[in-house]
This record gives sequence, C-alpha cells and structure tokens, in this order.
Amino acid sequence: MIRKFKTISALIVLLSFLSLTVLSTSAAQDIPDVPREETLVLGWSLANAVVDSTNPWSLPGYTHQQGNAFMWEPLYYYGIFNSEEIPWLADSMEYTSDDFTSLEIKLNPLAKWSDGEAVNAEDVVFTFEGQMNNTTLPYHAAFNQFVESVEAVDDLTVNVTFKIPAPRFKFEVLTLKFDTGIPIVPAHVLGEVENVNEFLGGLDIPHSGPYTPIVWDLTQKIYDLREDWWAVEAGRAEVPEVKRIVMSNIEGQQMDNIAQRIVNNEMDAALDMRSSVIKSIVEQNPSVTTHSGDQPPYGYLDWWPNALWMNTQLEPYTDPNVRRAMSLAINRELLDDIIYENAGITTIYPFPLYPALQEFADSPAVKALEEELQPGLYDPEQSAALMEAAGFTMNRDDLWEKDGETVSATIQAFEQIHSDIVPFLVEMLRNAGFDSDVNFGADAYQNMADGVTGLYMFGHGASLIDPYAALELYHSRYSAQIGSSAGNNRFSRYSNPEYDAILDEMAPLGADDPRFQELAAEALGMYWTEQIDVPIIQWLHRIPYNQTYWTNWPTAENPGLGVNGAFWAHTGMLVVTNLESAQP
Amino acid sequence: MNYRILTKRLLFLVMVIWAASTITFFIPRLSPRNPVRERFAELARTGGFSPEDLEAIVADYSTRFGLDKPLLQQYGDYMWSIARFDLGVSLNKFPKTVMELIAESLPWTIGLILITTILSFILGNWLGALAAWPKSPDWLKNIATSFVLFQGVPPVLLGILLIFFVGFRLKLLPLGGAYSIGTVPNLSFEFFIDVLRHQLLPGIALVLGSVGGWVISMRGMGVTIQGEDYVTFAEHKGLGPKTIFRDYYLRNAMLPQITGLALALGNVVTSAIVVEGIFALPGLGTILFSAIRSNDFSVIYGIVLFITIAIATLMVVVEFLYPLLDPRIKPQ
Repeated sequence: MIRKFKTISALIVLLSFLSLTVLSTSAAQDIPDVPREETLVLGWSLANAVVDSTNPWSLPGYTHQQGNAFMWEPLYYYGIFNSEEIPWLADSMEYTSDDFTSLEIKLNPLAKWSDGEAVNAEDVVFTFEGQMNNTTLPYHAAFNQFVESVEAVDDLTVNVTFKIPAPRFKFEVLTLKFDTGIPIVPAHVLGEVENVNEFLGGLDIPHSGPYTPIVWDLTQKIYDLREDWWAVEAGRAEVPEVKRIVMSNIEGQQMDNIAQRIVNNEMDAALDMRSSVIKSIVEQNPSVTTHSGDQPPYGYLDWWPNALWMNTQLEPYTDPNVRRAMSLAINRELLDDIIYENAGITTIYPFPLYPALQEFADSPAVKALEEELQPGLYDPEQSAALMEAAGFTMNRDDLWEKDGETVSATIQAFEQIHSDIVPFLVEMLRNAGFDSDVNFGADAYQNMADGVTGLYMFGHGASLIDPYAALELYHSRYSAQIGSSAGNNRFSRYSNPEYDAILDEMAPLGADDPRFQELAAEALGMYWTEQIDVPIIQWLHRIPYNQTYWTNWPTAENPGLGVNGAFWAHTGMLVVTNLESAQP
Repeated sequence: MNYRILTKRLLFLVMVIWAASTITFFIPRLSPRNPVRERFAELARTGGFSPEDLEAIVADYSTRFGLDKPLLQQYGDYMWSIARFDLGVSLNKFPKTVMELIAESLPWTIGLILITTILSFILGNWLGALAAWPKSPDWLKNIATSFVLFQGVPPVLLGILLIFFVGFRLKLLPLGGAYSIGTVPNLSFEFFIDVLRHQLLPGIALVLGSVGGWVISMRGMGVTIQGEDYVTFAEHKGLGPKTIFRDYYLRNAMLPQITGLALALGNVVTSAIVVEGIFALPGLGTILFSAIRSNDFSVIYGIVLFITIAIATLMVVVEFLYPLLDPRIKPQ
C-alpha cells in the first residue's frame, strides 16, 4: 500500500512538473528587458483575439482593438475634439472636383514599412482594389457603392474616381478615427498571399506603425517600439517614450479586480468603467486621473450615443404615437441627476455633440424644431393620451392593453455597459404602463438583429462631424424585412419614401453647403416627429489613466492632438506615442 | 488481467463518450444563436462592416464551417471527425484548432485545479483520519475540525476575499494572472517562483474550500473502522500505533474516499470556469466560458468531449485500481 501510495505521489509530482514544463516551453523565448518606467501596461480583453492575427484582412480573427492599431496606419487620422485632420501616411487628400467625384491623394515620401520598403501608391491602389474586389472585407460595400477606379499617377500620387458624388468618403472611409476607417496594407506582402482572409500575418508581418508584436499568448500581447519608425524622420512624431506596451488579458475578470489592479499601479489604463468604480479608483489613488480629472463625469464624449431602438415594422411600434408615448415616459432630467450626477449627457439627438455637430444642433433651424416638437419632453399625461388615441386601455395591472395584449417593452441590453441605466428605464416605462423588463442575456444582440418585439438599448455609431451618417441609419435601403437579420445600427427597419428623398438629396452635398444644412434639419425634424427611436444618453468613456508611470494622457485640460483617450481605438497609437514618462 | 472484463469496460466507455457527445452536440443547437454572425456582428460593432456585406460574409463562413447543412448531416460529420480524433477549428478564433486551444490552456487547469484537488484530498484525509484516531492529541483534532468551518464557503467567495485582503489591501501577493504582467514564460527559477506566487491565492482558496469535506467524510469512516475486529486484533497483537494507523486504519478507510476523489476530479473543469475567471488564469475553464458566451460550438464540443473522456477513463481506471488497493475486491 505504501509503495503504491509513493508511486501515485511520484506520478502526481511528475505530472505537475510536466505541466509546468509544457507551459514554460510552449512559449519560452528571450525578450530584451525593458524597465517598468518605459513600459505601458494596458488591461484589455483578448478573449476573441486569434493569436498571431495581425493581418487587417484576416477574418474573422482580426480586430484593431486588441493592439493591432499600434501597427497599422492610415492616410489620415482625425482629432475629434480639435475638429482637425491629422495627415499621416498621406500629406494631402483633396477632392479635385466640385461635385466630389474625384480625389487626389499625395503620400508622404518618407513613409516606410518596417522591412524598409517605401509606402507608395501601389500600396494604396492595392488596399483600395482589395476592398473593392474582396466581398469579405469590412468596407467592400462602401467601395462598391462609390468607387469607380483607383489609379497610381506616380509613386506618391493616387487618383480616385467615384461613380457618384462622395463628399464623405474621404472622412468616413479613408480617415481613421474611433473604430472606423481603413488602414493601408502592404501590397508586396498581401499581394503574394493566396488567400488574404486566411493569412493571419504573424508577428513578423511588415507594418508601418511604431510598435511590433514580439509576444502573443493567451494572457498578454507585448509590443516593442521599433527605433526606425518612419514618422520620426518625417517629423510627424517625436521618438516615443513608451518603449514597450503590454496588453494584459482581462477577459472574465470582475470590474472590481481590474480596478484594484489600477489602484495598485499594476496597470496604467484599462477598459472604460462605470461611474461608481471610477470614482472609487480616483479616491483611492491620487495618481489616477480621467478625462475630466478627479471630478464627474470622469469621462469623455464617445461617438456612440444610446437610444431605445425598436422594430418599426412590428406592432405596436408601427404607430408613431406609441413610439412618442414611450419617449414621453422617459424623464431624462432625473436620469441625468441620479445616474450621471448632473453631467448633462442625456440627449435628444442620434449623434454625439462633438464641436461640428454641436454647431449644427445650435443652428437656428434645429433650435426652432426643438422648440416646436419638444423631443426631450417628459409628460406622462400626454403619453397616456397618445396611448388612448392609439386604441389602448389600462388593464387592472396598470398596463396598456389592446386586443388582449400588453405593450411588450422588454429592453435587450448589455449588462457590462448598461447595468446602471437600463433598470431605471424599465421602471420609468412600467410606471407609464408599458410591460417592461430587461434581458441582459447572451442572446440580447441576436434579438436586436432578429427584430424581436420590444426595445433595444444600442448606440448610433455613425456621425462624427456632420449628421448625415446618423440620419442615414434610417434610410429604407437598410430596412430589412421581418424574419431577416438587420445589420448593425439598423435595427429600426424604418421605411419612409419622404425621409429617403431628403437623405438622397443630402448625399452628394458637402456639409458646408447651406442646402445640406437645411435638409439635415428637415430630416432631424422628421426623426423627432416620427420618433423613429428614443434617444436617451450620450455615451461617456470613463477610462482611468494611472499617472504613476505615464503622464500627458489626453484630457479635457490637455487635449493634445484632440483624439479620444481610448488606447484600443484606431487613434490609440497617437495616445500612446504622446505619453511622457513620469519617472524618467 | 481479465480481458473480457476490460473489453466490456472499454465498450462501456465508448458508449458513455458517444452519449455525452450526442447530448453535447444538440444542446447548443437548441439556441437560435449563430456564432459566426455573432462574431462578425461583434466586429461590426467595433466599426467597419456594412449590413449588406455582413450577411454575405456570415453565409460564406457558415458554409465553410458546415453550419448550413442539415442538422443530422452536421451530427454525422461531427461523429466522423471525433472518430478520427479531429476536434475541428474554433468558429470564433478561426483558424485556431480546438486541440490547440485545449493544449495551451490545459497545463494551467492541471497545474492549479488538479493539484489543489489532490492536495485537498491528501490533506483532508490525513486530518480526518487523525481527527478520529483516539490517540491523536486534542490540539491536532481541533485543527482538523476547524477546516470544516470553510466547507460552507464557496472557493470563489474565499478567492474574492483573499484577493481583496491579501492582494489588494496588504499587497502581499498578486491580484491575479498566471504570472507577472510582461513576463514571458521560461524555464528559469525566477519564473517558477513567479508562477508559484500567482498560484498561491487561488490554491489556498481552493484547498480551504474543499479540504473540510474530506475531513468530515474521513473522520466518519475512521470512527466506523475503529470498532472493527481487525483493529482490535492488531492492538492485541502488540503492533505499534503508527503501524495500526497506517496499515489497518487508514488503508481501510481510504477505499470510499478513492471513489470520492474520482468524482471530485470530474468536477475539476466545472469549478475551473469560475475560479479561473476570478483569478484571471488562462485555463480550460476560461476557454470554455468564453466559448459558451460566444456559442462557439466547436470549442464547446471539444472541451466537453475532452472532459467526458477524461472522467469516463478515470472511472474505469479507478474500477481497476480497486482490486490493487483491496485484494478482497475482484473485478465482476
């Protein structure tokens, strides 16, 4: 028995040792030591990352959000808070015709890939034609809709000819900001690959960005600065002080645990957090700051203002009066007071109020419409009157009922980001007689896409500098039929020829055109009149910035290039390369 | 070795695996969720995909993964691939294979959960046996029974408390992770110590949370065995107390505990899901949790199949181990 016990014990020890050995050798490699003072530690979920997926065209594993934005660069970036274009790989991108049907791109002559090859017109043509021809690439539809041809005039000049006027193509597609736009890819690498969608890229893929991945496993991604980054020589940037970036996988971890790691200076920044958590972090570690410093609302305006969407093809949401009645049941002032500490972020618009859009919202035409239509009004009595006019009666449970059915107002939402606000909305709607509940289940997004009865708490990830993109979300070309899946941000399935006509007339016009402004106001007025969805809040990104090791984070007081402070966004590279060491 | 019995057991093992695989195959399919669409929808949420292309891309990849075939045909393909030991590719992390995901994560699960399960078993049974042994000093009996206090506390809760007080407030041990951020796994002594430091808190939580159960059960067995004739006989023969404890008392009390250990090992991955999440460990539980969230059929099937095979095999091994431990037991 003892001999057997010893044998079993020995086997256990051997198994443990083997596990550790397998673990150690599976990713064993030597990397240079970089001190903590030169290392930036970021907490982000790498759960869905496909290890070694660095090729922007690989599917479905690639996403820029997991550090790949440090590798790939665009023709232009955009500083949203300064309302400024930031030329990058391109020195200029100008429309060469008044009707926006041709665009000339001039590249920076010093732009290079990490293997020493120049970034040239061939790469731009390859990138654009790839999007045009490869149906699986994210901007294929946009290229297909607008681009007629792409031509390299010389090594540094590209002409793009559009099929129809494309005044917003340069900004929406060719400029990287937040999470939209395309980077330029190397023709001499991807052009040699048989199937670009299946080619992962690996850690050695030539790229133009400043950081190169050197380690990628289930727990982290490590990037090292390459000293030969072209942007320094070209004068676009100073030599970054961040020599190493470590993205630590926080998938599955509790928010509190991540917050503890920030407070303990284990991490320099992490995902955006809820107000109470950020407040606690800031109170416990004075080195931690936010976009608004140590004061509420602790965050910056994101491009994703949330609304209660609904499938306007399903009863009773086909009736604008019912939709309006729901909006009248929402007390935005109370929401702002209780949940957002009077940060003033509840909204009546389907777009974020960045400077250019704030200007539009403040225009006399829009103000007049606001005055007339009162889109943010809270009036339970008027809500009740509208429901009665729509043929509903109150049942003994104080719920609106018609033909034996109550108004299903279950809100599909995401617990991680909506757990603070949606329960409030549920109560407000219930008080107004709507049969409301919340679904935070894993099927929430699928329900939105399938257009189930009820409401969907989701953002309008569209407009940034003019209202067209947001208003275009409700064009009938996106009105998917019942039974089919609606695309992202197109959950309303709204269809109105009159509305379509306004948008169609706007499409070829630049935002500076007075007629565009007129039409935009008209479309916004129709959005309010029809109550296509119920706008609720602007979205805040409350990101903790730990200044123990790194300062010069983009904040309200220190806007820098005017980009948002999300290190995971396309503009994250600009955030990281402008950080300054707090412990030089 | 009775080959007839061995063959019967192996056939039974195959049947168990088949049944488990079949149930596992159909359960996720009861949900209307399409993991390919969800993956691309998630990518679309982060910017880029237009709705027109989304459906086309989803259809393309659904065809590639065989999701557009009739369900029974998919089931047949699935069974055939299992017979060839091919667990397929992850739908969510394509082209990563399921075997690769299991291979990368398994060492962490074995390293922590398996080891702590066995440590709890050994520690708990020793303490339980000593708690019931009449010749044990009172202080030792008190220590043994004090572990029972933790029995009602879930290891997850213990883990959260340990993280908060030991890791966050006192800063004595790391707050989570398998090793220090920025460290690359290697064979150095420093790395080994780093891993050990990171495994201490979860290890303590898991051991504390489960050792009490073994103490109670072993103590109960020990009390029963004390009154047996062979123990009395051994005492009257003049054998030393250590010999009696080890060869007559402990050995006989252990038999039911071995079965309990097999069952506890079967719970390794299920408990790993939450524990690994709390402590940010990249083990099998984390991979399974992620797969369930994204409805990644292939990974769910692969991991559940892996667990099923492991547990079923373990049961067969335990059954054949019994006669080795107790000569009175013969395979039936």
